[in-house]
Amino acid sequence: MEHKLNISVSPHARDKMSTSAIMACVFFALIPSAIVGVWHGGLHTLYVLLAAVITAVLSEFIFDYITKKPNTVKDNSAAVTGLILGLSLSGSVPLYIPILGSIFAIIVVKCFFGGLGKNFINPALAARCFLMISFSKTMTTFTLDGVTSATPLETLRTGGVINLTELFYGSAPGVIGGCALTMIIGGFALWVLDIIDWRIPVSVFVSFVLFVALFGGQGFDLRYLAAQIMGGGLLMASLFMATDYVTSPVSPLGHVIYGCLIGILGGLFRVLGSSADSFSYAVIISNLFVPLIDEFIVPKPYAYRKQSELVRSGHPVKSFFKMFPKPAIVLTVIALLAGVALSGVYTLTKDAIDEQQLAANAESYKAVLPDAESFEKVDAIDAAIAELDGGFYGTDFGRVTINEGVAGLDASGNVVGYVLSVTTKDGFDNDITLSLGLTADGETTGIAFTELNETAGMGMRADEPDFKDQFNGRSVSKFTLNKAGDGTGADEINSISGASITSGAVVNAVNAGLDFYNNVVKGGN
Amino acid sequence: MAKDTFRGGVHPEEHKELSRDQALRVYDAKGEMVFLLSQHIGKPAKPVVKKNDEVLVGQVIAEADGFVSANIVSSCSGKVKGIEKRRTLSGAMMDAIVIENDGEFRPLVTQEEETDPMTLGNAEILDRVKAAGIVGLGGAGFPTHVKLAPKDPSGIKYVIANGAECEPYITCNDQLMRTKAEEIVEGVETILRLFPNAEGVIAIEHNKPEAIEAMKKACHGKKDIRVLALPTKYPQGGERSLIAVIAGVYYPASMLPADVGCIVDNVGTIYAIQQAARYRRPLIQNGITVTGEAVANPGNFTVRIGTSFAELLEAAGGLKEGATLTKALCGGPMMGIAMSSLDVPTQKTSNALTLLVDDANVLAKENETNCLRCGRCAAACPQGLLPQQMLHAIHQNQLDRFEKKYYGMECISCGTCSYICPARRPLTESFKQAKAEVLAARRAAAAGGK
Repeated sequence: MEHKLNISVSPHARDKMSTSAIMACVFFALIPSAIVGVWHGGLHTLYVLLAAVITAVLSEFIFDYITKKPNTVKDNSAAVTGLILGLSLSGSVPLYIPILGSIFAIIVVKCFFGGLGKNFINPALAARCFLMISFSKTMTTFTLDGVTSATPLETLRTGGVINLTELFYGSAPGVIGGCALTMIIGGFALWVLDIIDWRIPVSVFVSFVLFVALFGGQGFDLRYLAAQIMGGGLLMASLFMATDYVTSPVSPLGHVIYGCLIGILGGLFRVLGSSADSFSYAVIISNLFVPLIDEFIVPKPYAYRKQSELVRSGHPVKSFFKMFPKPAIVLTVIALLAGVALSGVYTLTKDAIDEQQLAANAESYKAVLPDAESFEKVDAIDAAIAELDGGFYGTDFGRVTINEGVAGLDASGNVVGYVLSVTTKDGFDNDITLSLGLTADGETTGIAFTELNETAGMGMRADEPDFKDQFNGRSVSKFTLNKAGDGTGADEINSISGASITSGAVVNAVNAGLDFYNNVVKGGN
Repeated sequence: MAKDTFRGGVHPEEHKELSRDQALRVYDAKGEMVFLLSQHIGKPAKPVVKKNDEVLVGQVIAEADGFVSANIVSSCSGKVKGIEKRRTLSGAMMDAIVIENDGEFRPLVTQEEETDPMTLGNAEILDRVKAAGIVGLGGAGFPTHVKLAPKDPSGIKYVIANGAECEPYITCNDQLMRTKAEEIVEGVETILRLFPNAEGVIAIEHNKPEAIEAMKKACHGKKDIRVLALPTKYPQGGERSLIAVIAGVYYPASMLPADVGCIVDNVGTIYAIQQAARYRRPLIQNGITVTGEAVANPGNFTVRIGTSFAELLEAAGGLKEGATLTKALCGGPMMGIAMSSLDVPTQKTSNALTLLVDDANVLAKENETNCLRCGRCAAACPQGLLPQQMLHAIHQNQLDRFEKKYYGMECISCGTCSYICPARRPLTESFKQAKAEVLAARRAAAAGGK
């Protein structure tokens, strides 16, 4: 024996699956989604993904180098973080977005806390939320073939009809990794390879579907539910982000609790809040509960479980409920109660909010139809609005919905005109809602804004008399916008300088109201 | 009630093809023989020979000291060179009787008498087992006469012959079952005489079809013995895994198999029991697989206990030309002990000499990285423990948490968690240390209490 022998404690064999192999599997499971994303989004989309991945890897490499730590780039986790971040961005974002995001994810969220395994929230998601807060406008603009369009979930929220097939194949406007089909394939592959536990995604789906079905206001409408599942990043969040080992619990029961938490929070945010990012926030918040879950959900060794003790004492009981430890039942009940309570609060406050809204509306109605003393609902208008079912009105006015229409009465109860409440989603920053006053002949008596949150000094100037009084006392069937601001024509409205998008949205909204009045209300009469 | 398989487990590469079809060959030692005085759990045996005594094959050279202890029987004839400290597998020094082997193997008993074990009384069976110095050959070396005498023999439901042989590389039990099936079945029948309410189960992993076939043939017509083929999965051959499958019971470390109605013995042990019961033959030899990528002619050997591993390697043709031996294991890669030198005697519990070359264990040398919290260790643990949290508790110096919250003392050191860990963290390794510390603290507390 001329050379020395290695001495170590057993075991002396190791599985081939290493950290870097696992991460490589996750990376490749995301590749189909990336390909479909690039296919639909074009070359720029590819640059976004590359920027995210390359920056992530470089950030980790440089951090390790500067801090004199062993190089951890080869564990592939930085590349996975970069790819997940890239896929969760819109394909049209400027390249500084993925670059900044990846730096934030790797340096701040991961490396500062000690590298892979030590971060307490998912780096890619944290970076996405960081970007959402810092660059909200850029992050929520989704363009497809150069046209800015609503994401399917926004359409869904406003009651529009969405194309499930588009969602399934990823051609709907949204993030790069928006293809439901490839996401499911990738997730399934990871499950087959025993890399992710089915419990997390399944409990996310089940709890989310239950929540949305119960509180989403559409019941068990399959199309609605399918759209909710396939749209808005639920699949990517539940299959690739929630299953991130580092920021998910360890025990199987912990997985179920964590998954349900994500599903319920995601459902809550979708039903009550903005749709696009519900699951980013749901997962991040649930990440924070992971240490708590792991502290309290400690599975006992098989030998100490109740079932084993019963078997040993000769009385095995195979009751369904006995199979679940108490904490599981308690937590499920708490989660359900919390959900019910929250939706209860929402329902209660919703009425109060609606009443306030009505009072505010009445004020603005009076402003646009000064001759009226009181307002009352008209069945014909209500029926016509109900027929629209909350969808966008017409095809020439952008994304406009008709909210309400009332008749204005003078002191003796005669109809002096009508007021319509119209909302457009085409504002520069947010939705714009306005009241439009009309005489019975269809002459506009004025407009007033009940919801206007545009850029100060730009779009907000729509509320100034210079702009909005242009609508007073004019009798046309359709206004046109003069962007130069020097129009004198009978149907021309001069744009606010530097805010043609806001101006155009307002004109379109007014035109939609006029069209609705002329063709539906009057035509219907 | 019984299930197909136990919970958890892993599938390490088997490497059994190196030696699986090599029949057991008898190897008679040529050099000096070393008999360690502690080859079993319990008190070391007490020498009954002294320097320059002439001993014969089959002569008791050290007697059991107390109930939980075992006789040591000479496997060669010759002169006692002395009683001195010799190196054990782990490198520690231990008292041993060293005999100058004269190479003639003169037996103590020249005329063997044969008895049908089915005519023996219970006390007689236990006496013969004890006199033969039989201990559990599967690993721990628990004295068999103690195991076979539980408090309540009528409460035993299953006598399990463990032929699983789930450790990679090792094949000597496979060969033993193929060639000594009748004897093993008689051994099980002998044990069943002690336990009137028990059923015999011979458990073998699926990857040994010839052994399963041979054992089934030998069991043909026996009402109370059956062969059970089990899925190939490590650690299927662990006592608790077998009991989980066969009796459907998981039990804590504070209990013995007998407490849940089971007696588990390795097929090698059962063969030794049969030999002792029928012929009064003492345990002087056992099956050892000499294998690994560094061995010229891997094979299975019937070896006299006390033979040097270095000599055994020569019997297998020595090192393979061009192979760089990096690790020498007594046992397989999952639970085997890495030896610093091959000049160590085989003992009753030795079942393999596995010599690895660099590429066979290169994965085990990868550097440890941060824990991913992937949970593979917990999913694979056959006891349902949480290795990740246990290691965390150890790193936090919270042995109390390790023991009470995470039931660390339930760990059976099977190596499954370390094997599966993608971050190459030393889980099993750390638990062995922590368990030793907890036990030491318990002993200290007990001593302080006196």
